[in-house]
Amino acid sequence: MTVTHTPSTDSRPPPPKGVRGRRALLALALLVGGAWSLTGLDITLARVLDAPADAWDIFKRLWPPAMDEALDRGVIGKVFESVYIAWVGTIIGAVLSLPLAFLAATNVAPRWIRIPVRQLFNAIRAVPELIVAVIFIPITGLGPWAGTLAIGLHSVGTLGKWATEAIEGVDTGPLEAVEATGGRWVSGMRWGVLPQIMPTVASFWLFRFEINVRASAVLGMIGAGGVGAELVSQLMFRNFPAVGAVLGITVLVVLTIDTVSAAMRRRIIAGAARTSGPDLDADRNAEALANLTGFRR
Amino acid sequence: MSDGGTARPVRPRPRLRTLGITAGLLAFTVFAANEVGFDASTSWEVWTNPLWEMFWPIPWDWVLDRSNVLDPLVETFQIAILATIIGCGLALPISFAMSRLTAPNRPTYLVSRSVMNVVRAVPDLFWAKLLVTAVGIGAFAGTWALSIFSLAVMVKLFSETIDNADPRPLEAARASGSRHLPAIRTGVLPTVLPEYVAYALYVFELNIRASIVLGLVGAGGVGRVLEAQRQFFRFDRVLGILLIVFVAVFVIEQVSVALRKRLV
Repeated sequence: MTVTHTPSTDSRPPPPKGVRGRRALLALALLVGGAWSLTGLDITLARVLDAPADAWDIFKRLWPPAMDEALDRGVIGKVFESVYIAWVGTIIGAVLSLPLAFLAATNVAPRWIRIPVRQLFNAIRAVPELIVAVIFIPITGLGPWAGTLAIGLHSVGTLGKWATEAIEGVDTGPLEAVEATGGRWVSGMRWGVLPQIMPTVASFWLFRFEINVRASAVLGMIGAGGVGAELVSQLMFRNFPAVGAVLGITVLVVLTIDTVSAAMRRRIIAGAARTSGPDLDADRNAEALANLTGFRR
Repeated sequence: MSDGGTARPVRPRPRLRTLGITAGLLAFTVFAANEVGFDASTSWEVWTNPLWEMFWPIPWDWVLDRSNVLDPLVETFQIAILATIIGCGLALPISFAMSRLTAPNRPTYLVSRSVMNVVRAVPDLFWAKLLVTAVGIGAFAGTWALSIFSLAVMVKLFSETIDNADPRPLEAARASGSRHLPAIRTGVLPTVLPEYVAYALYVFELNIRASIVLGLVGAGGVGRVLEAQRQFFRFDRVLGILLIVFVAVFVIEQVSVALRKRLV
């Protein structure tokens, strides 16, 4: 009886070279990073084991929410104050960022102005709203105006970057047509570029408004107006049912605004004809995400 | 009758509905601006306020002293690293449960999706404040809060990636008789893994920024120092801390962005 050794075909193909080494390196980096972080943070096993129970204890007491008490204290008004802050902040950001975006776009602005404006956008984006608010509060005093200014200034960074990219993506035909008729630079922007980018830019504004609603809710926690202050004071009194009500109302308003705004963005981009395209919102998200992360699929 | 075509085309009249929407938005804006205390006459005074002088000069010897700013800053980055590892690690299995393509069954898909939507609707600092109340002031609460928030962001990003993944390898695995988990492991995971890593780095950048402000609500890190100095009205120190923080954040982000670009 002879055994023939044929090259076996059902064995796995060998993995590509270098993958194993890179994987090991990555695992090691994660392990070292994690361990280093653990040692610095005073995290003991006892605390880790106790934490879920402690947290659950608190979360349990949020229910049922004390809606009546929250309504008496005007939480609805506070949530709306957050929405107003987000809205006015977004408008400030939009008004400031749109002209700047024209100065930052590669295809319509000269190099000497483009670079500083872009760096300005980058610098603004690097500073969170809360930090801007920390700087503004001593100047304006506590209250919604500090939060509005903070959100407005911070929005300039992202809105400017997105609008710049929209301008860079325009069809140059209309722009050339304006130039051919002897139009000046401003006319070219007004009639050749603006009509093309306006739907995209408007949907970016709405998207930023959604983000700003969350941001302005947080701003209240350091006294810059809105619902955050209410959350902080109820937690300080350990009045958990009221905390539950504040959280519930906030989540409800945030989700409602997200949904309405997403529907409006879809409508702006796709027009009335396709109001319920299944993939449009995913496309929009992917696009906005690509803009946020600089990372395209 | 047009003769020669030199006349301007007639401008289309705006539709009534457009006018209505514009007027409505304008009215809302005016109302909201009034509510938040916008006042055109005082808005310039913000920039000329003499209080700005309190931000200057920066006391560099205090700022650069190790225990004042640098140690809490390191703590901040440790929070961000740990939260990224925990959040993104947990996000991997949950994302597969949350995607149309790979959800084991419809109830899992619906439940995980709605829970995560609610978690994401609560702003990150609200989580931090809640957890500070639950487990005590300090970095531990901050790590927890950021872990939850990175989990919520990560599952949203990554489950959409899985939705868009090529379904054919998965079908091939299933056709060859594979069970659910091995089919995902061999059919989907390899195609989405690079994006997972890229998103994880992106979440890490978000966490680095978020961890700076955690301290403002008592959840540890450099924000704690910021909050203390702010309450003592030492705005010169505040500005110094911010400058240091932003240099550090900028460097970390550049490294992360460079890594992400190489991956994709």
